[in-house]
Amino acid sequence: MLSAIRVAAIASNTVREAVRSRVLYVLLFFAVTLMLFGIVLSSLSYVESERILQDVAMAAMRVFGVAIAIFVGVNLIHKEVDRRTVYTILSKPLTRAEFLFGKFAGLVLTIWLQLAIMVACFMGVSALTGAEVGAGHAAAFVLLGGELALIVAVATLFSSFSTPLLSSFFTAGVWLAGHLTRDLRDVGLRSNSEWVGEAGVWLHRMLPDLQSFNLTIEAVHGLPVTAADVWLPLVYGAAYTTLLLLAATLIFDRRDFR
Amino acid sequence: MKPGSANRVVVRGALLALALAITIGAFGALDATPKIDRGEIFVPPAEQLRFASFGFDAVLSDYYWLMALQLVGDASKPVEGGSVAKLIDVVTALDPWVGHPYRFAAVWLTDSLENVHAANRLLARGVAYSPLDWRNRHYLGFNHFFYMGENAKAAGILEGALHLPGAPRYLAPLVAKLRTEREGLETARGFLASLVETSADPRTRAEYLKALDEIDTERRARLLDQARSIYKKRHGRDIERVEDLSTGQRPVLRKLPPAHPHFSSFAWEIDPETGDIVSGFYGARYRPYEHIRDKERRQRWLGDAAHVSRES
Amino acid sequence: MDAADAIVRVENVVKDFRPSFGLRSRRVLHGISFDVQDGEIFGFVGPNGAGKTTTLKVLMGLIRASQGHATILGCDVRETAFRQHVGFLPENPYFYDYLTGREILSFYAKLSGVASRAREGRVSELLDWVGLSAAADARLRTYSKGMLQRVGIAQALVHEPKVVFLDEPMSGLDPIGRKEIRDLILRLRDEGKTVFMCTHILPDVEMLCDRVAIIVEGRVRHAGATDAFLGEGEPEADLVLAAVPADLPAQLEELYAASLRGHGDRLELRVREKFVQDVLQATLGAGGHVVSVTPHRTSLESIFLHAVEESSRC
Ligand SMILES: Nc1ncnc2c1ncn2[C@@H]1O[C@H](COP(=O)(O)OP(=O)(O)O)[C@@H](O)[C@H]1O
Ligand SMILES: [Mg+2]
Repeated sequence: MLSAIRVAAIASNTVREAVRSRVLYVLLFFAVTLMLFGIVLSSLSYVESERILQDVAMAAMRVFGVAIAIFVGVNLIHKEVDRRTVYTILSKPLTRAEFLFGKFAGLVLTIWLQLAIMVACFMGVSALTGAEVGAGHAAAFVLLGGELALIVAVATLFSSFSTPLLSSFFTAGVWLAGHLTRDLRDVGLRSNSEWVGEAGVWLHRMLPDLQSFNLTIEAVHGLPVTAADVWLPLVYGAAYTTLLLLAATLIFDRRDFR
Repeated sequence: MKPGSANRVVVRGALLALALAITIGAFGALDATPKIDRGEIFVPPAEQLRFASFGFDAVLSDYYWLMALQLVGDASKPVEGGSVAKLIDVVTALDPWVGHPYRFAAVWLTDSLENVHAANRLLARGVAYSPLDWRNRHYLGFNHFFYMGENAKAAGILEGALHLPGAPRYLAPLVAKLRTEREGLETARGFLASLVETSADPRTRAEYLKALDEIDTERRARLLDQARSIYKKRHGRDIERVEDLSTGQRPVLRKLPPAHPHFSSFAWEIDPETGDIVSGFYGARYRPYEHIRDKERRQRWLGDAAHVSRES
Repeated sequence: MDAADAIVRVENVVKDFRPSFGLRSRRVLHGISFDVQDGEIFGFVGPNGAGKTTTLKVLMGLIRASQGHATILGCDVRETAFRQHVGFLPENPYFYDYLTGREILSFYAKLSGVASRAREGRVSELLDWVGLSAAADARLRTYSKGMLQRVGIAQALVHEPKVVFLDEPMSGLDPIGRKEIRDLILRLRDEGKTVFMCTHILPDVEMLCDRVAIIVEGRVRHAGATDAFLGEGEPEADLVLAAVPADLPAQLEELYAASLRGHGDRLELRVREKFVQDVLQATLGAGGHVVSVTPHRTSLESIFLHAVEESSRC
């Protein structure tokens, strides 16, 4: 099985490396800027401007959270192979799975750190404008964290065999499709062709159902959120993430580092 | 300074100035008029937008909401109801839990029967998603009564808002009034009377009791209407004053009922516009108030609609 | 030699590289075999592109052999656990340069399963051992190439492995750096470790290795004890003479079958070792000076060149 010490060693070093990346801070800066811009934008509406502010801020968190997840995720293995740091690391008594899980854990921690900063900023602009923040928001943030971890796992899978550029395209594609599959399924089911309907259903089953991680509207409107709304997606996400990582390990295990 | 470096400065400076001039000139030539002002706002169908929102429904909804605000914010142009309807449809399809946009639609979509219908569809969506908000029901009921003359339906919708938090006191009397037409005065009276019993707030009760007074007065006015028709049969002419009913030869009534249950100083009058017998206290009969122009518009709209439906 | 207790065994290892696009794969290793014995310094020698690094990557489990079999300490190289006893210095090693020397070694110590109690002491000891104590808390970004190479050796040793694999440990270093690394390698042998070293620098091999295998174009051409290679043929010596009279060169050439090279009154010549005394006496007698006398051994270079030539012929 995986050794916690080794995984932790890789993970903590990954965090250490990732937080040094300038691109990360540029993205974070954009996110914060967009949230502040939300204040201006929401003032264009003479009603419900707190809601609009929170909508914009949530969207900023989602967009830049995913951008960060994809950016750090696809560079995951590539950088290590490219700089050949992987040679010395894998020559140690460390399985490739441990390496992969360690990298993944480190990146997820990094992204959650970024998310925490964005949440703090969200609270800041909300307090500034008197917009209410409740338990729904906490649920939405937690689920966003789950979605981002899943995206990192998708990026990990792709980057276990592909170049960063292609991986980022693939990952972005999965992310978009993951938000689309419910609608695709519904469209498919409404179509006359049984085949199309079936395809829609299977697409929805196979791709991650990312809409289940989206509680933006519920949070902003203070709609009731049940415990199952939170823990079910989290369980689903954790299981799906594990599947992705296992697949990535299978590929990574067979890979030549040349 | 090296020979030639002065030259280089001049060339670079000239190039910079040229590039800057072209940039500014070309920028000015770009047609950057907002799409709204060009009258070509493109609002994708709500269905498609929701499909391709990728989890950004809320913020997209806000975007189209701000666009709708711009559309009506320009005082120099008449508001084109169709665009508002499309925009608010998108806004509320993307985020059906919004509040104000529904009422916004109700306010701005009053220029044609078609738009009122559109507003009603939107308001119905608002009622479905925010069933505890009295305001969407209020606007919906109002539209049914005011623009479409469907008083019974309006009453049904408004009745659903009566007990919602924040609902105004005048709603129940209004419902009673609207119900009268189809269900009769006694039903309306019973409805209000039961509300009086169940409402705890003294000011609300007072409001309802006032409405009951008006119903009692209407009852008497209807009695006078009957007396008036007997008078016509008997004398072959209409009354000139309401007192004619109880005075002169062969009066129909021995005595006129009071024109208000509590205030005896008010008398019955004949409304010069409608010819109706009205209480001096109320100045009008017990029915939803409607300005004559509103009535005319409604009849025109509904006539048109009937005409169109007959054609098709 | 008993193959059974070989520390490293490579049997008929073949490696084909498949290009990213295209179907034709390229064979880089054509079935190589060799053994490394306990406690020796083994030189894996060959020109650039011969397949040394590729072989080493197979041994380190970084790539999979297409055919054949390799074991280290009796374990299949595709396994992981035995790496507890293996150290590896890659060619031109690169490390996280935002870490300090101490941090990077501590990182590798964790990966290698060095107990947390022992870790700090082990790291300090190693830093001392490779002479990096002074720079231990500077970031690797500020290290010179020689210092990085020593970090590389230190990380390979952090878990006290039994066998150490070094890929071109001396390449790209200045003479002082090379000497330092050479000394470290000799110290490793003194500590009883087995050292496997790839290189194309022949003097280093002659100086360090107990045994060598020569690899050319993915095939092992020669393998055996270094001394056995070098002992072939009769010993000779190189002499440098100065202020030689004009008639001396011809005389020496005739008498001692010396091969000559001269410019002005300076003369370089190679003679069989048994004639050295005579040549010196003749020179001094004729009024010349002796500048230097160096014993000449058959160099690995000649064997090496011979092997390369051979492979290009067939
Ligand atoms: N990733 C690779 N893909 C294809 N060919 C490679 C790859 N890596 C090395 N080679 C080829 O394999 C041969 C051996 O390379 P290498 O083992 O690095 O040689 P050495 O270390 O002996 O200099 C070379 O001809 C090289 O071009
Ligand atoms: Mg090499």
